[in-house]
Order: sequence, then structure tokens, then C-alpha cells
Amino acid sequence: MGLSLGEKNYIKGGIADDLRCDGRRRLDYRSIAIDTGVIPQANGSARVRMGSTDVIASVKAELGKPSSYRHDCGKVSIFVDCSPTAAPMFEGRGGDELSTELSVALERCLLGGKSGSGAGIDLSSLKIVEGKMCWDLYIDGLVISSDGNLLDALGIAIKAALSNTGIPKVEAMPGTSAEEEPEIDISDDEFTRLDSSKVPIIVTLTKVGRHYVVDATIEEESQMSSAVSMSVNRQGDVCGLTKRGGAGLDPSIIIDMVSVAKHLSQQLIATVDSEIYAAEARESSA
Amino acid sequence: MRDVNFAMTQTQKVRLKRALQCLRDCSVASSPVIVADTIPVNLEDNILKGHGTAELEGEVVATLCGAVERVNKLVLVRPFRARYKPEIGDIVVGRVIEVAPKRWRLDINFIQDAILMLSSMNLPDGIQRRRTAVDELNMRSIFEENDVICAEVRGSQNDGSLHLQARSQKYGKLEKGQLLSVSPYLVKRRKQHFHYLEQYGVDLILGCNGYIWVGAHSDGGGKNEDFEDLSAKLEDKMEVEVSPLAPHKEEASSVPLGTRENVCRLANAIRILSLLGFNISMELILDTVVASVTWNTTVRDMLGGEFYTRIAEREAERRSSKRATQV
Repeated sequence: MGLSLGEKNYIKGGIADDLRCDGRRRLDYRSIAIDTGVIPQANGSARVRMGSTDVIASVKAELGKPSSYRHDCGKVSIFVDCSPTAAPMFEGRGGDELSTELSVALERCLLGGKSGSGAGIDLSSLKIVEGKMCWDLYIDGLVISSDGNLLDALGIAIKAALSNTGIPKVEAMPGTSAEEEPEIDISDDEFTRLDSSKVPIIVTLTKVGRHYVVDATIEEESQMSSAVSMSVNRQGDVCGLTKRGGAGLDPSIIIDMVSVAKHLSQQLIATVDSEIYAAEARESSA
Repeated sequence: MRDVNFAMTQTQKVRLKRALQCLRDCSVASSPVIVADTIPVNLEDNILKGHGTAELEGEVVATLCGAVERVNKLVLVRPFRARYKPEIGDIVVGRVIEVAPKRWRLDINFIQDAILMLSSMNLPDGIQRRRTAVDELNMRSIFEENDVICAEVRGSQNDGSLHLQARSQKYGKLEKGQLLSVSPYLVKRRKQHFHYLEQYGVDLILGCNGYIWVGAHSDGGGKNEDFEDLSAKLEDKMEVEVSPLAPHKEEASSVPLGTRENVCRLANAIRILSLLGFNISMELILDTVVASVTWNTTVRDMLGGEFYTRIAEREAERRSSKRATQV
């Protein structure tokens, strides 16, 4: 993103004056629009638009084997892809770096450690037969148009997609011996809803100059010194934290940011929940 | 301007739908066609097939989506949405993408980059003379990469390249503001593309190429001073001593909050008009700004569903009343 010196100073000055280029204050979000069920083949999907940022998340559930150290839980993996329609620089392998960065940040914010403990998504609900079979959730994010704040948008999209996800009901026949694969019967029309209320939401605070802003546009992101992304759940607990950008931050600023993020997340969760609810209602009426 | 979606309530959606329907009813576009529509012509008249038409099975069909225009024997389709096509004398706003020998290359939203020759712009000192090698070496002190500048279309050369010129004080580098990008067909060619809105303290440049500059006013004299200052600095650039003008410049680069608010308000008005697909003219922008002030809409609420709907309704009302008076 090329900006002239005059524009850069103007953006920085606007953030210092608490009046950004599109008239927002530092802690204002752009309007968020959510659509659910946009991909019929997936178990759950959602599209989130914030200004010109446009992302899609889909959840695909497949049968798998639990990992050896968490045999009573399912597995979740997150992949993000940046479409070349978003920016010419994403063409070919150009988007790989950003894709990996976003995937890692999302995994860190929403999923727990390698073992799967401490995940924002309740993994034990994905169990079918302990130690033998479980659901693997593949969460795919796609960036269609990029105007900054991709991580927050993807976080909201994943939350909406998970609440939209229906996992087929499974009848497991107990196997005759311990080694044998259990026989299962997947129902075609009965689904259980995933509980997405515990899934945290991501709030990114981008530091430009001496102040930090929420929901930065791509122009503002080009002027950032560092950005801290916090995932906060409904209870106001911080579930994950990542920092981008090489410039250092004073620890007291991080503490300040955490409390601001906590405060903002509660409003955001309420907005997102009502938007998801409205989107689900639209989808079922359509 | 990329597509933006607003969160709207059900009533707002219904109101918007009604307003848009009303606007559609009022449209006066002369016989719009879509691709593969037959254009009714009298083939015995020896007509000439122009742009956007083709002959298929003895009939003239449109190859573009647009309005049919007839000039004597010529039949052509003027597309509704098209990329910017420069015409001589157009005022454009562009961004420098390369400083090349004796020229700058600019992005002006055309299918190719435009060229601004060092020889087709006034030198900072304002003296008319041949450009020397020294001038060529100092080109970056005039415009750098990524600078936003405004210029006039001079014409295309024999080799097909598009040339610009900036032979006046009003052209040149734009600072202290923001660049908006709208669809070029929304900006119509007018007598006046530079606007200084005294009551707001804002400069507005409606580039014919769909790039619009909204920025705090910088007066021509000041600009001149700036340039002089620059050239003076160039001469003294070997000196290590920091110029006493530096802190003064820093101060000058900040925009007062009131002006900034006006810039934002104008910018948001343009954004809304471009999203609604209305022609972006000075009168309509000012009207939108005045409406936002009288409705007590804050600058950030201008990019919301309510304001969007009200502006659509306002325009629908105006057009239908205009139509009623004509009938």
C-alpha cells in the first residue's frame, strides 16, 4: 500500500485527534454484516463483511481418530487462504505468508496448545467413541477482499460458522473387542448444533503513533508500529494474545490494552450475537 | 470505491427499496440495451456500426451494456460502466509510481500509466528555462514515489503513451488530505474541477479519472513558499545544520480538528454518493453535507444504513418532483 508522506501524516494526525479518515473515533468499529450458510456443501459457513473487508469461513466435519494424548476429544484445525481477488499481490504464492500468519494467529487465539487443552471450542463434544473415533473439524477461512482487520473479521466469521454448524448424529455400535473398529451409523437428517457461545472473539488493537485504534483499515495498518490481538470470551477472560509488528510496547500499555479489549469485546460479542441470530433467522426463512 | 455493506433494519431496507424503485422509474436513459440485444435500425439507410455494436444474422446487436446513441448514420453504444478514458484537457488526480529519466510515471486509473515529463511542468522556482541534468537529478525533490498529484491530460503521443502536463500553480503535489477512489463514470466533465470551499476550509479536486482528493486548504502562495523553501533547502543540502524552518513545517503539517471534521464529512458524503451510484457533482456533495448537518448526523454515522437510506429517499423525491414539474 503506497501512501505519500502527506497522507501518512494526515492519517497519523487523525488518529491523534480521535477522528479517523472515515469519521470514526479510535475505538469505533465499522458496521458488521453477517450471512450464514453461504456454502451449502460445508457443515457450517458464514460470510462477514466489515466495511470493504470481506471474509468467508467454513466448517467441515470429518470422521477421524483422536490423537494419542487426548483420546476423549476431537481435533480442530484452521487454514486461511488469501484469494488473489483481494489484492494482486496475493497471486501465486504471494498470499502464503499472510495466510500462514493469520492461521497461526487464529490457532493461537481460538485453539489451545498442541494437546488441545484449553481450547475455546469444546473439543470433548466432538467425541464419538473414546480413543477410537471422533469428529475432526476443518475450519477454512477465505479472504475475498482485504481492507484491514482481517484477523478480527476471520474470528467473527469462525464464530458465526461454528454456530451455524450442524454435526450429524452418530449411532456407535459397541465393538465386540477392543481392537476392532466400531461400527457407526451416521444420520442423514438429524444434526446436533455446536455450542459456539464459548468461542472467544478477537479484538485487535493497532498502535499508530502514540495511540491505538480498533478495526484499522488497510491504510491505517500500513502506519502501525505494532498490533496486539486478544481473544476474549463472553466472561471477559482473555483466551489468547498475539502481537504483530517488531516495535516494542511498554508493559503498562499492554495492560491498558487488555482492559480496553475486554471492555470492547463485551459490546462486540453482543453485536455479533444479534447479527448471527438475525442471519440464522434470514437463512431459515429463505 | 469497493462495495460496502451496511447493517440495516427491516424498515430501512423497505424504505431503501422503495426509493431505489422510484429512482429507477425516474431514469431517462435513452433506450438502454444489454449485451446481445438487437438495436432497431433501418438497414437500407446505410448505417455505420460504431463502438459496442456488431452484425449478427443480418441484425445489429449490442456487444456492450449501455445506452444507444445515434449520430447521423453512426450507431454506437455508450457503456454505462467503463474504465476511465482520458480526453485532452481532463483534470486528473494520480499517484506517482516511478521516477524515471526525465519523467514521472503515474497511475491514473487508465489501462496504462500516464507520463508526466519534467519538461511539461513548471519548475519550483517558476523560471522558464531548459531543464538541465541537475534538474533531472533533483526530480525526487519535486515528486517522490507514492506522491499524489493533480495534472492535466496533454494528449497521447504517437507511440500510444499518455502524457500529462502541470504548467500552472494550481497543479502539483497534494498533501494534508485523503484520496478517494470512485467509479470514473460518476465524475462528469465540468468547467470547474478544483473547488475551494471557503466555509469549510477544504480543497476538493474531482479528478475525471475517478480519483477524488479531499484535503485541508493550502493556498497557492503557501505552496509557492513551500517550493521556494524546498529549492533553498536543496541548495543548502550539503550543510549539516538543521534549517530553522523545520519545526515550523512540522506545525504546518498538522490539520486543525475543525477542518479535519469537514474533510471527513465531505469524504463520507462522496463515499455515500458513490455507493448509491449518483453522479458526483459539487452541488450534490454540498447538498449531502448540508443535509447531514441539518439532520444532526455525526460524521461517523454518515456511513450507516439510516443516512444511506435518507439520502436515497431525498434524491428520489427530488427527481420525481422534477419530473412532475416537467410533465
